[in-house]
Amino acid sequence: MGRIFGLYRRLVAIRIRAQMQDRSSFLLETLSTVLVSGVTFVTLALVIQRFEGIGGWSLGEIAFLYGLVEVSFGLMDMIFSGFDPRDFGNRVRLGTFDQMLLRPVDITLQVFSSEFIVRRLGRIAQGAVVLAVGLHLVEIEWTAAKVLYLPLVMLGQIAFFGSLFIIGSTITFWTVESIEVINIFTYGGAEMMSYPMHIYPDWLRRFFTYLLPAIFLNYYPALYFLNKPDPFGAPGWAAFLSPLVGAGMLALSLAIWRVGIWHYQSTGT
Amino acid sequence: MRTFFELVKLSARRQFTYRAAAFAGLATNVFFGLLRAAVMVALYGERGEAAGISLQAAITYTGISQAVIAFLDLFGWWQVIQSVYSGQISGDLLKPMDYFRFWMAQDLGRALVNLAGRGVLIMLFYAAVFDIVLPGQPGQWLGLLAALLLAWMVSFAWRFLVNLTAFWVPNAVGIGRLGYSLSWLMSGFLMPLRFYPEWFQKLCNLTPFPHMINTIVEVYLGLLSGPEMMAALLHQALWAAALTSACYLVLRAGVRRLVILGG
Repeated sequence: MGRIFGLYRRLVAIRIRAQMQDRSSFLLETLSTVLVSGVTFVTLALVIQRFEGIGGWSLGEIAFLYGLVEVSFGLMDMIFSGFDPRDFGNRVRLGTFDQMLLRPVDITLQVFSSEFIVRRLGRIAQGAVVLAVGLHLVEIEWTAAKVLYLPLVMLGQIAFFGSLFIIGSTITFWTVESIEVINIFTYGGAEMMSYPMHIYPDWLRRFFTYLLPAIFLNYYPALYFLNKPDPFGAPGWAAFLSPLVGAGMLALSLAIWRVGIWHYQSTGT
Repeated sequence: MRTFFELVKLSARRQFTYRAAAFAGLATNVFFGLLRAAVMVALYGERGEAAGISLQAAITYTGISQAVIAFLDLFGWWQVIQSVYSGQISGDLLKPMDYFRFWMAQDLGRALVNLAGRGVLIMLFYAAVFDIVLPGQPGQWLGLLAALLLAWMVSFAWRFLVNLTAFWVPNAVGIGRLGYSLSWLMSGFLMPLRFYPEWFQKLCNLTPFPHMINTIVEVYLGLLSGPEMMAALLHQALWAAALTSACYLVLRAGVRRLVILGG
């Protein structure tokens, strides 16, 4: 285990150093992400203010939900860069994935450490600011349980989004081309989870409850932190499923990934 | 001119090679459209109207903004950058055709297929699921056609200009990302610009971005009509001309300093 972690650290350090070679380019990209995603939220906030909230949630409550998802998605997008279905699809198509299979190191570890996109820090920083604004506006009644649970919710979300990346990459073993449909679940899922789930039509919310259990990662934990009543009358422990659902999804996606590698046939290029 | 139309045709035909990808894109656009429509309904709440836009029009807007994504290639177009970095551009510059028009023709072919395919299908889906607004008089339909054509010209010239930075810097993709993000933000892609405070609308109107999407939306929904519509179309045409001229100027300067390494 120690050896694997050491190897992971070394490989990721190489990716980071490579991106730091052109410092001006790195700074430009990170700053532009902060600027653009920051302005995006500010303009959304202006619209929310004009309408005095969304679906009964105030601007601060939305900012809390939105910021949490932004930070988690940004962290996932950085940590799971190697599993980004678009880049991974290229790897399969160009045959560079075959090279990885020949190396005497666990393939999952290799893909995991094959990329680590540092400019995602821009999105993470912006999400952190939005989250801070949200926390400032809503004044949560903090308890020890809430303080301890917040990082766990975040970990659950990271694992959840990461599992979608892994499943998206696995699909490219069969489709070769990366498929845009997976964006519905990754980027679409993140955007959807930035708003309170009760605003969606029933069929959509059911989909994201029973088939893809996203509702337990953002909405129910948020109800708990914000002391809001549950319009669907789920049991109280629904708020505490986030880490479990995240870990379960990650385990499931890794199992699917193993099956994919088992059946992998090179494109021959 | 004949070569131009032949290129348009070729590029249009090429679009049909990627049917699976186009279908996947369509599904993604529809999903995001439905998501945004739900956000609109929740934003409006008990209101029937906001900033002169009815809820019905706001829902229609979420369809229009998704319908034009593929048509305007809003999420990034990097072909000239790739061509400069790979050296492919040297061959293209030798062709007996103006370099700007060479890409313009191909982009037009791509855009038309995506408008007729993805764009119209999305609006048909919306018409089936929601009670959407449709342009009324023939004048509005004509205005819409003009707005769409001009929006594509503004969008193409902007994308071409962003790509031209590849002549000067080694990381033009980074600059491009910033350029494209600005265009989502200020074009009215995220929300109708009328929802924003006055000062932000004014700021946007100093840029070409509203002419990519917002003008289409306002003409379609009938928020602009008669002389106001004509003024908006004229404004759009001026930006298309200005950006096109800028493309030619920058292209000439870029080609002069272009060095192709053999191999």
